[in-house]
Amino acid sequence: MLNKLLKYDLKYMIKNMSIFYILGIFFAVFTRIFFSMEQTVMVTIIGQITLGCMFSMIASILINVMMRSWVRFRDSIYKDEAYLTHTLPVTKNDIYNSKFFQTLIFFVISFVIVLIALFITYYTPERWLMLKNYVNAITTGLSFNTTLFVVSMLSVMFLEIFNAIQCGFLGIILGYKQNSNKIAYSVLFGFSAYIIAQSIVLGLTYMVGLFDGNIMDLFNNTAVLNSDGLKLLTGLAIIFYIVIIFAMNILCKKKLNDGVNIE
Amino acid sequence: MELLEVKNLSKSFDKKKVLRDVNLTVSSGRIVGLLGKNGAGKTTLIKLINDLLTPTEGEIFVKGEKIGVNSKKIISYLPERTYLNKQMKVSEVIEFFEDFYDNFDPKKAKRLLKDLDLDINQKLSKMSKGMQEKVQLVLVMSRNADLYILDEPLGGVDPATREYILDTILSNFDEGASVIISTHLISDIERILDEVVFIDNGKIVLQSDADKLRNKEKSSIDEIFRRMFKC
Repeated sequence: MLNKLLKYDLKYMIKNMSIFYILGIFFAVFTRIFFSMEQTVMVTIIGQITLGCMFSMIASILINVMMRSWVRFRDSIYKDEAYLTHTLPVTKNDIYNSKFFQTLIFFVISFVIVLIALFITYYTPERWLMLKNYVNAITTGLSFNTTLFVVSMLSVMFLEIFNAIQCGFLGIILGYKQNSNKIAYSVLFGFSAYIIAQSIVLGLTYMVGLFDGNIMDLFNNTAVLNSDGLKLLTGLAIIFYIVIIFAMNILCKKKLNDGVNIE
Repeated sequence: MELLEVKNLSKSFDKKKVLRDVNLTVSSGRIVGLLGKNGAGKTTLIKLINDLLTPTEGEIFVKGEKIGVNSKKIISYLPERTYLNKQMKVSEVIEFFEDFYDNFDPKKAKRLLKDLDLDINQKLSKMSKGMQEKVQLVLVMSRNADLYILDEPLGGVDPATREYILDTILSNFDEGASVIISTHLISDIERILDEVVFIDNGKIVLQSDADKLRNKEKSSIDEIFRRMFKC
């Protein structure tokens, strides 16, 4: 049944997010066209306007994918649509997993669309070479494989934001267990869950630091982390976030399985 | 084995007790009227049976099993409100029900919608609340379920439509299936009831065969209800 639930959750997100994706790419293409034309005052002004619109769309995509994931979660599990969701012959675990994967999939899609929009706007062979040289300079200095460095940094960023989204889910589940002020409690619990998750990552990093001088330097002085320390820290961050996301997923499902109270 | 068994069920919201030690059994092949004044606890009881609320105490069994995936397969529930995703077209909702309910009959749904002059290509958001309620009733009655639970199906509709709704209910459930209808509009549904359950202040105050009760009290269910719950 998970695949069926996911099908409808993805359809909902496609309906709501596709306009932002289309506009993001549309303004990227127009910016590119205006930037490649002979630059007159008017062309430059229009180019700057389309560039501004493109960045607005990128911001809209990133904000909307988070907000709509939370709104979809709340609406189909706790608002009027919950009357349908909770009377379907599916487990609460499937209901949660469907929202989890829907968010994950659209978060990846949004990330890719943003990268495509930036690529369309700014790509030239010279700029690409300049970017590669810039990243190479950093990774050579850190004795880091360039591809691994880029993938690691994007992964940490991705997991960090995804963790924040799931903290929102936990906040909604706990907030809607209250009999009043549900939204306020959801925000409070969600924010608290995020702070606790971040504190756990920090605490675990400190514990590793007790056995590794490079990591402990982060806590003891202001010196820039050396190559080995950065590699270890990046790897640890990825592992810690995956563990926390997994643990919070189990916690959310447990709390959802404890039962709901739909208004 | 009873189709539905509710044992010592209580529900509280903070300190307010909404249901108190409710015991109820429903056998197969019965049309049961769950009757009570506004705020008596009818909807709370129905929501508990449908897993939309968590009991404070007590248990609910459907065909001997605790409520869960299996009970949801055989219960067809019509809530008192519109609950479908309004972004969807009627045809998409039919597809949705077909995907999730093995006992859903799309042909029957389409036939009933046609009878009601409802366009299956129309979006729910473009329909009036009354039309959306009719779509919901059609979807619920197009399932070959063992138990239909209809919460205030007559609320807010004109008398002519009430007749149509009652006829739709009566002519679209399988022999052997049971129906629980919650309402405070007793005179409208009295004729179709096999059994009545009176609920007041969160307690079941009477459960009886409808004919036996009429004969015993020598008056209609509506009159008995009015006498019992006179303000």
